[in-house]
Amino acid sequence: MSILPFPSFLDDVKEKGFKKAVFEGIDDSVERLTAGLNVQDLREAFRGETASRRPNPRLTPHADGFWLHMRPSYFNRDVTGMYPSFRLGWLSSYFVWFETITGILLMLWYTPSPEIAYGDMLTILSNVPLGQLMRDMHRLGAEFMVAVVAMHMMRTWFTGSYKKPRQFTWFTGLLLLVITGFLSFSGYLLPWDQLSLWAVTIGASMAEATPVVGDQVNLLLRGAPELGANGLLRFYLLHVLALPALLFIMFGVHYYKVIIHGHSLPPRKENIGEDTAKRVPLDKRVYFIPDMLTYEMMWLGATTFIITVLCIWFYHAPLENHANPEVTPLGTTAPWYFLWIQGALKLGDKFVWGVAFPTVALGGLALLPYLDVTPSRRYAHRRFMITIALLLISLTTILSYMGLAKFAVQTSAETEIVHELTFEPAHSKVGIGRTIPFDQMIVGAYTTAQLHGRDDMSATDIIAEFNAEVFANGQFDQLIQELKDQKVGANQLPLRFRTIPAAEAPKVMRVMEEFHHHLAAVEAKELPGVWGALVITDNQAGLKRLDWIVSWDSVLIEGGQVQLDEAGEPILVYSERVDSEGNPIPVRRIFSDHLFIHEASAYFD
Amino acid sequence: MNLLFIRSIEGRILMGITMFVGMMILVGWVAINEEARMQSFVQQHTGRSIERGAELYALNCSECHGEEGYGAGDRAPGLNNPHFFGYDPVGLHTAAIINANRALVRLNKNTDSLLAEMTDAENPPTEERQNEILAALTELEAQIDEQNATIESAVAGRVAVLESLDTAVENGLFPLWDTVVDIETTSENEVEVFFYNNGTRLAQVGWAGDLRGYIITTLIHGRPGSGNVWPNSEGMAAWSQTAGGRFRHDEIEDLAAYILNWDKGADWAFEDYIAVAQYGKPLADGSLPSEPPPPPAGDNVMGILARWEANEIVGSEVSGADLYDAEFGCTDCHRGGASAPDTIGTLARIQNERLTAPGFEGYTVEQYLVESITRPGDYVVDGYSSGLMPVNFGVRMTDQQLADIVAFLMSQ
Repeated sequence: MSILPFPSFLDDVKEKGFKKAVFEGIDDSVERLTAGLNVQDLREAFRGETASRRPNPRLTPHADGFWLHMRPSYFNRDVTGMYPSFRLGWLSSYFVWFETITGILLMLWYTPSPEIAYGDMLTILSNVPLGQLMRDMHRLGAEFMVAVVAMHMMRTWFTGSYKKPRQFTWFTGLLLLVITGFLSFSGYLLPWDQLSLWAVTIGASMAEATPVVGDQVNLLLRGAPELGANGLLRFYLLHVLALPALLFIMFGVHYYKVIIHGHSLPPRKENIGEDTAKRVPLDKRVYFIPDMLTYEMMWLGATTFIITVLCIWFYHAPLENHANPEVTPLGTTAPWYFLWIQGALKLGDKFVWGVAFPTVALGGLALLPYLDVTPSRRYAHRRFMITIALLLISLTTILSYMGLAKFAVQTSAETEIVHELTFEPAHSKVGIGRTIPFDQMIVGAYTTAQLHGRDDMSATDIIAEFNAEVFANGQFDQLIQELKDQKVGANQLPLRFRTIPAAEAPKVMRVMEEFHHHLAAVEAKELPGVWGALVITDNQAGLKRLDWIVSWDSVLIEGGQVQLDEAGEPILVYSERVDSEGNPIPVRRIFSDHLFIHEASAYFD
Repeated sequence: MNLLFIRSIEGRILMGITMFVGMMILVGWVAINEEARMQSFVQQHTGRSIERGAELYALNCSECHGEEGYGAGDRAPGLNNPHFFGYDPVGLHTAAIINANRALVRLNKNTDSLLAEMTDAENPPTEERQNEILAALTELEAQIDEQNATIESAVAGRVAVLESLDTAVENGLFPLWDTVVDIETTSENEVEVFFYNNGTRLAQVGWAGDLRGYIITTLIHGRPGSGNVWPNSEGMAAWSQTAGGRFRHDEIEDLAAYILNWDKGADWAFEDYIAVAQYGKPLADGSLPSEPPPPPAGDNVMGILARWEANEIVGSEVSGADLYDAEFGCTDCHRGGASAPDTIGTLARIQNERLTAPGFEGYTVEQYLVESITRPGDYVVDGYSSGLMPVNFGVRMTDQQLADIVAFLMSQ
């Protein structure tokens, strides 16, 4: 008789003894939690034994439980290997969850406001334990996710898995690709650094090219004519609310369709025109519990382990200077997965290449299963479609290359060269000029003229001769004037060039060699008679100033092109002055840029 | 890749567990190194902040404040100098003179009262007392001489410093020194007041906060009226976007970081004063206050009590009550005894309860009160939270004010 008004554990103890009651209680709880598997069933499953109970308890979690209700209870052995799926679909799903978890953690420290956002980034990096790791993981995961989803699509193309009856599955997959792209893109803006602001400005400006509604779309997206507080808030809400909601819904639809039709088999495993994915012969069945489950748990561990290793040693999410709408960095590009559009834009009209072309491309992809209706999925029968796929990959690669800043963008050589030496850390790269160790920044003026490859003279003699030359022809005065204009303190101005201290400052030597190398490459055409100089001055305790100067004879430039004479030589621009022999002197031009380096800044190499 | 397609279930379980454990070890390893990483990030970021500040300064500020922060073209004051960073070149001398003068007042007063006693016709002192008085007078005279010598050497020291800083003084260190202070006619007291108020830039502008706060505030709001004192300048504009300027707040911070990076701390030298082209100018008309600000009491309890004794400072209950209620707002907490011991019954409680507690042997009531006011953290009465009472009363009160409050409390 129960001491309580309902059957209780105590009754069980009375009835069966303590030990038995406890074990049965545990068994019962486990069976409830797993929706059908008791301790003995689990033990058998994870030992790789066959189930001893009938009906097979390993199928109940799929039928009765929530978590596995969409997962098939068995797979065809032919789709569980590396080929044909390469696990790309699984990896895509993995990244959806991975990004959600790391993203929610980052949200704890983030406020979408231009005044605060960048400071929040610094806080995450400087004051949140594991904050940097979390940010690196989220960013790297995002880049991987775009790549993995795109590869998943191409794999589907190659194996012809989009064919009947999976046309709609393909379409939802394409939507997921677009959503993934926009998710990654909208996340780009959130750190509110120069990289975010300008990459997104470029991306968002494409919306402007849409006819009729372009301005409205743009305004809707940015909340103002320029990206600012409203734009950041909108991108944030897109990133954490709207797009993830769409993604999860489409993810559900996509996976449901995959299961409904079954995972498509390798093309050669089926007769032409047949679809046997749903009819898995008994001997080919690989059950989810325990085989696929253990596979997936292992991949989960392995993938996360690999990302962790990458984020500790090989990858750090970039963070440039605070966003500044007034300073456009040289060589801004869209995120890599949108580079193909940026490349296409260089081909001509903004609307044709920035809006119409991507729309047609995506439209073509969406219609693919309805255009390619041939029944065979065998590679040998699909040479045309596979050629198209390869062409598409080539085209995207070429367009992406064209999207890079170095392709067909008119920047004058001197600007380009100095930028190459001094650019701020971006995409894990930094101008070599910033990587000079602080103790090697020995105050003085150094010139690339020392490196003009004259073996017959010592460096000291070359510099002495060069000093005499530039003192005589006024080029040194011009240099001093430029330094004054650039606000170098009067007490800091150099008196003459010195030889590069190769022994004490090998890095300065290397940088000057690189400087010289760049200049020599363009000397003949764009910068005749060029020399470069590096002037290192003290600014404050622990703070040096590095001025980079390029001095050359002016050449005639029209429409961004250097004008050549009949002999193929650049046409010099002459001043009214003449030298001692009565020959006209070319106009001498000078360009400079500078950077300050603090000893604690620790720019990486 | 076959590694990921382990066909045996045990292999997969083992592999998965290894990976998870490996990942956790890695994350744990990262976690224990986080403190150091975050610290080095802060350093690195400060460095880069200074770099950005340097760029902003060269572009926007160097025209008037000078490329090297020495000031330029009668447009704005130099920032790169010890005066700006709070190092008073004659501060030690000024302090020595003020202290010696204060001692002289006391010594003279003592001398006067002894002389009065000596020459009291109605109640002449005994011979024995006369000898005592004479001995004391000799002693006092020696002390007065000593103080005078101190003053003399401090004044000489100051003159020497000012001479070696001649160029700097000409460039505006101690502005109005020549026009306002006339050594012949200005009273000694006024000279000391002048140096007290002009020793550092912050004293000059009457800024109560720290230098960083002053720099940031000036960058944000500009300095209205500075155009009137700098002939070639429109005056310091408001640079912050908040106030209609062009800089975002992080840029203001960068600039402040750069300017503060000029501080050489203990390494400032006389040459640094001389290098300056032009010093800051006071925006006021230059008239001098008549009284030097009385020095704060500080938190050296025995020192305060000794000064009271030596300077014959006697508290006044009435003004103490006023200070207690209004100026220092003590009643706000010490009322009713909810958040701090009640004002009423203070004396009795101290005598009967506090001073009988262990650790207070030999304490007087005054000592207990002075310690409680100037060093509230040293002992907190059981039942009340520590850290509630502000610790800066010693800095905010003068000896006299403190004595007044103590007198008031002893009447409660």
